[in-house]
Amino acid sequence: MLRRWRTRILLFLAVLGPGFITANVDNDPNGILTYSQSGAQFGYSLLWTIIPITLALIIVQEMCARMGVVTGKGLSDLIREEFGLRMTVLIMALLVIVNFGNVIGEFAGIAGSLQLFHLSKYISVPICALLVWLLAVRGDYKSVEKIFLAASVFYIAYIITGVISGPSWRTAIVATVKLPGKSAWSQPGYIFMVVSVIGTTIAPWMQFYLQSSIVEKGVSIRNYAATRLDVIVGSIFTDVVAWFIIVACAATLWAHGMGNIGVPADAAEAMKPLAGAYAFLLFAFGLFNASFFAASVLPLSTAYTVCEGLGLESGVDKSFREAPVFYWLYTLLIAGGTAVVLIPDFPLVQFSIFSQALNGVLLPIVIVFMLFLINREDLMGKHVNSAWFNAAAWLTAIIVTILSGILVVQQVAGAWKH
Amino acid sequence: MNEKRNGPSLTLLLGTPVTEPQGSLFGRLKDIAVATGADAGRIAGLVLKTKQGLELVPATEVRSTPSGMLELRSTDALRPLRGDENFILLKQDLLDRQIIDVHGRKVVRVNDVDLQWFSRDEKQDLRVREVEVGLRGAVRRLLLGVVPRNALDMLARKIPARVIPWEFVDVIEVDPARRVKLKIEHDRLAQLHPSDIADILEELAPAEREAILTTLDEEVAAEALEEVEPKLQKALVESLDSETAAGIVEEMDPGAAADLLAELPEERSEAILEEMDPEERQEVEDLLEFREDSAAGRMTPAFVQAPFEATVADGVEALRAFEGSPESITEVYLVDEQGILKGVVPLGRMVLAKPATRLAVLTEQRVISCKADDHQNYVAELFDKYNLRALPVVNEEGRLVGIVEADHVIAFLRDKI
Repeated sequence: MLRRWRTRILLFLAVLGPGFITANVDNDPNGILTYSQSGAQFGYSLLWTIIPITLALIIVQEMCARMGVVTGKGLSDLIREEFGLRMTVLIMALLVIVNFGNVIGEFAGIAGSLQLFHLSKYISVPICALLVWLLAVRGDYKSVEKIFLAASVFYIAYIITGVISGPSWRTAIVATVKLPGKSAWSQPGYIFMVVSVIGTTIAPWMQFYLQSSIVEKGVSIRNYAATRLDVIVGSIFTDVVAWFIIVACAATLWAHGMGNIGVPADAAEAMKPLAGAYAFLLFAFGLFNASFFAASVLPLSTAYTVCEGLGLESGVDKSFREAPVFYWLYTLLIAGGTAVVLIPDFPLVQFSIFSQALNGVLLPIVIVFMLFLINREDLMGKHVNSAWFNAAAWLTAIIVTILSGILVVQQVAGAWKH
Repeated sequence: MNEKRNGPSLTLLLGTPVTEPQGSLFGRLKDIAVATGADAGRIAGLVLKTKQGLELVPATEVRSTPSGMLELRSTDALRPLRGDENFILLKQDLLDRQIIDVHGRKVVRVNDVDLQWFSRDEKQDLRVREVEVGLRGAVRRLLLGVVPRNALDMLARKIPARVIPWEFVDVIEVDPARRVKLKIEHDRLAQLHPSDIADILEELAPAEREAILTTLDEEVAAEALEEVEPKLQKALVESLDSETAAGIVEEMDPGAAADLLAELPEERSEAILEEMDPEERQEVEDLLEFREDSAAGRMTPAFVQAPFEATVADGVEALRAFEGSPESITEVYLVDEQGILKGVVPLGRMVLAKPATRLAVLTEQRVISCKADDHQNYVAELFDKYNLRALPVVNEEGRLVGIVEADHVIAFLRDKI
């Protein structure tokens, strides 16, 4: 009996991983910026988005996890096998560009968060880039995963910040479960912010990363229940963190009418006089952790995905000579991201808008492909989507597609005006 | 040689219009079917998409015309494709899929297939020459329809090819009904080193792994399985039915088998044990009693022993009678009537001695052994300190119960790094 319980707990801990990690990496500097902005500009009135977003995130992530477990193949593998080389190359090219944009965002986050501690970016960014590179190349997957899991815990920093900021709990909770009144919707930029929050929470790279990690972990269909739990727990935890970021900014910045945030580090800086040094420290530390964490995952995940889809050797357990494309791509993404952040006067904001727009183009394609794949009985057997799940998934896909479309149009139009 | 280089590639050939002898359009080339079973690897026919549906025509009944079209010699040889023929369709089942490069001992993805016309009985026949896995095939596929065919063909030829000759290709296509189609029976695969097979298994998806493992000879499967990393080992065995699994586990080294079964859920390992031969089962069950990180958890009960009074000739006899794999043996152990360990004779000394020499004379001065419940770290220390190849394990009374071999220690030390 004791042995059985021990196995069960160990089983859960062993499976807790990919879903939790993926969802957490999603709260990267771009995500934190969006949440901070929404809290600072619109206070509590955007909190209602958190519950639907969590559901959508769970639906999308669960499909990936299920595909990974049943087919034992990564998403890019499946796209390659079922949709051919051309489509794969197109998607991979888009993914590399989008992810490169995100990588730049992560390094900008590292630079910004360490600047809060008066560390010049010309020192912090190269050192962190080197650390990130070494982490994957010199470490093995098991220890890297453990480090990532540990890093996820530090997101609690945001929850504590939220508590320290002394928000109005009642207002916050009501705003979470109730749609705001008409007046909120008519505020300038409100709808755009809704779209941004949803867009930043579900990113295309996550699906590829999650599915590959689950395949790598070799989860069998018998243990799938635990993996699903991992995905659900991860998604909920991530969005709880997002909720607290919005609340923290609403209670401090919005309450004092300081709505304008350009980069995520601004939020921490602005919080200092309002919520005290601890809130500032935690927010800044959380930002650094999130940036570093995402900077470690994204380039690696991109290199894996691309090589898998194109049938090239990949994996950190291979040598540089065995898997040259894998290592070059990985190295170039990191080196390129670092270089861009260090270039003085690089149009960082425009570039981030550009990559976000591509994000919006790529996401619907990926979700639709996933839906086609997961409903194929010859691939999934009896694990295809059930009718109601399909309805929910298609609905999610359609909403996300429309919102992404709006976001792309808005961002492109916005960039045009500047 | 020149003719060899100029065979058509699958992607360039697909979609080619096929005309009747009179020259009117009959259909288009949709796919190419390759036979499995006795004729495995040979092209069974071209699949044409026509107004009547999919039709199969032998390659000998088709002629390629100078204008780049295909012309039917007659329409008599056509027959409808039913879909249950158990063919491998090159486009549907091979293109973009993973295959095993038996020669290069790895898993690769197919970008294109090179075909070749050759004459047979005064007719033109088609065969698969090689499978392209490099940039050339990829470029051809990507630019098809964007660049004119001839120019594309010229361009593609400038890119160095990475190809695998067709005879070294092992296709592991699992169809919807979960039947496995094989181009070749896994003869060549079975000849690879177990560690190479293990590496290949690790690269594949579960259904494919299972397919390969079950088609391999049990002994080969067992050796390969021993080399697979523990996590995957567990997943693989869990996916097999108990009987198949038992057949493979029986052939494994008892120590490795016990380690594997200990990882499985209890019901599952019991079900597998149930299916095993009583003798092997007993050995494995005994080992399962021990803690995994103890000497006994690492040991194998397969060793060669001889009575303390035995001669070299007796020792050789004992070696001949040994049931496990003889290549792992490095020493012969001498025991008294109670089974108490009395001496260790290295194989080398035995070989050099005369047949009538008593083994007791050849034994090491000091017998180094460990207790069944000693920790594996201690075992590793002993190996290092005394430069051992193998270490006998004794129980409370000093009776020999098994040995730990150097490769077990290396495996455990690598896990720790």
